[in-house]
Amino acid sequence: MPNEQLQILQRALERERKARKQAESILEQKAMELYEVNQKLKVSNASLEELTHKQSSQLDGVFDNLLDAYILMNLKGEVIEMNRSAKQLFGYNLDFEHVNVVKLIYREDYQYAMQSYWQLINKGYFKDYKARVITKNKEVKQVHINAGLVYDASGKAIAAQGIVRNITEEYKEAELKKALLANLEKSNQELKDFAHVVSHDLKSPLRSMNTLIYWLKEDYEAILDENAKEILAKLSTKVEKMDHLIRGVLAYSSIDKVEHPLEKVNIQDLVSDIISVIYIPENIKVEIPKTLPIITGDRFRLQQLFQNLLNNAVLYIDKPKGWVKVTCEELKTHWKFYIEDNGVGIDKKYQKKIFEVFQSLQKSDHSTGIGLSIVKKIIDYYEGEIDFTSTVGEGTCFHFTLKKKHN
Amino acid sequence: MKGIVFTEFLELVENKFGMEYVDDIISKSELESEGVYTSIGTYKFSEMVQLLTHLSEKTQLSINDLLHTYGLHFFSVLKNSYPDIIKQYETPLDLLNAIESHIHVEVRKIYPDAELPKFDVTNKESSKMTMIYTSSRGMYSFAKGLMESTFKHYGKEASIAITKLNNNGTEVKFDIQQHA
Repeated sequence: MPNEQLQILQRALERERKARKQAESILEQKAMELYEVNQKLKVSNASLEELTHKQSSQLDGVFDNLLDAYILMNLKGEVIEMNRSAKQLFGYNLDFEHVNVVKLIYREDYQYAMQSYWQLINKGYFKDYKARVITKNKEVKQVHINAGLVYDASGKAIAAQGIVRNITEEYKEAELKKALLANLEKSNQELKDFAHVVSHDLKSPLRSMNTLIYWLKEDYEAILDENAKEILAKLSTKVEKMDHLIRGVLAYSSIDKVEHPLEKVNIQDLVSDIISVIYIPENIKVEIPKTLPIITGDRFRLQQLFQNLLNNAVLYIDKPKGWVKVTCEELKTHWKFYIEDNGVGIDKKYQKKIFEVFQSLQKSDHSTGIGLSIVKKIIDYYEGEIDFTSTVGEGTCFHFTLKKKHN
Repeated sequence: MKGIVFTEFLELVENKFGMEYVDDIISKSELESEGVYTSIGTYKFSEMVQLLTHLSEKTQLSINDLLHTYGLHFFSVLKNSYPDIIKQYETPLDLLNAIESHIHVEVRKIYPDAELPKFDVTNKESSKMTMIYTSSRGMYSFAKGLMESTFKHYGKEASIAITKLNNNGTEVKFDIQQHA
């Protein structure tokens, strides 16, 4: 072999050798890099695992501590998972038995349940399903369910989950309330009818009595002595009181019965009219220091309201110089009226009693005990409140509110 | 530049012209690597330029002709290394169309520091397409050889016309017409 060719070969060999070493060292370096990356991966894997574990145990906690029952089922209705509340609600334990949700449906609600199931399959969810279910102990419970489909990574539905709330108690309560309300309405109506019938029936014999007393006085004027006449006069007064009573009952029972139209009522004029109509002894002055407002309401009821309160105020004044003041204050949503007097006053202990029907604090021929209960009823009707402040022997101030706008 | 381009090149030179040529062009060049290349290393492009220049001088063949021949050969290297990538494409035009949008994207995942030429497809029909080659290396003849081998691989023939868009050939238009 020529020397030159040998040298070429030697150089080629040398290059190959160096190339091999270079490749080895590159690979060594790559291996080192791989090892380092691997170590880093291991660390981050470990922390990921820890995180996953933490999250899944958190989820388990949430899942089991949910007050509502949670059920996971496959698309055939076989229950895969139940939380603690679900086990308690339905009484089943998946560790020992298979449960299909069909078994839980109350027979009469079956069709509704199937409709909801189709909605779940087609739309992916249903909401506010309210129906009955049967537990393992054959108890019937009222439940509320929201449910949705569970999908795999490719978007295919693989299961359904539902949150089940036991609303048996609420349902029972609502049913009870409904029944009570219906009952109440019925007995209210009966009471009103009764009051009307009784009042009307009582009125005619009363009128007869009045006429008979009149005849007795007229026809036997000559024979009757003073004592008899006095008794007859008392009898007349009692009959008159009876008539007052009956009219009071009628008025009370018809406050929320007859619908009167709402109109603008000038309270200044209304109160002035009342003052001129009712009996006011000469020693008593009724004052309106500031012009009263015009408010929206039903004239008839407002008249009853003010007349009753003014009557009361005037009636119970025992001072030689009596006064009654009517004032008004405008609040945000209500009008507030004050009717103040310097009469006998009312003891605080009667506070609760005085607005009840047939409660009169003084035995009197004029008092029927219905007046303030009518007042209270009218104020309730206008969504207002009534109260009073009083010092016995010095006077009383009734104050009440009336709502400005009516629904 | 990736080492495999050097090792394959020198192997081709050795096969076509003999070991003396390899020894000659390495000795004449001033190489930082001293002509020691491994396929997994990375070397300066200027070394490839020197090797090509000296080979061209010695063989009296133009650099572009040499690169074209090398391109024809290099397709088989790619085919052996990445058969699955090539199998993904049913026609040669589909493969060429995917160089920029898919193949080079994958290459960058394996070699983040790779400096790749750009192949912008400006027009593609069923049997012809136009692409603009952009690379600071101006190795468009190498690209042409690769393309021709691609058609050969699929059993097709094509005419590939080259229009240099600038003097140094760093921007070149390829008009490719596949024959029926």
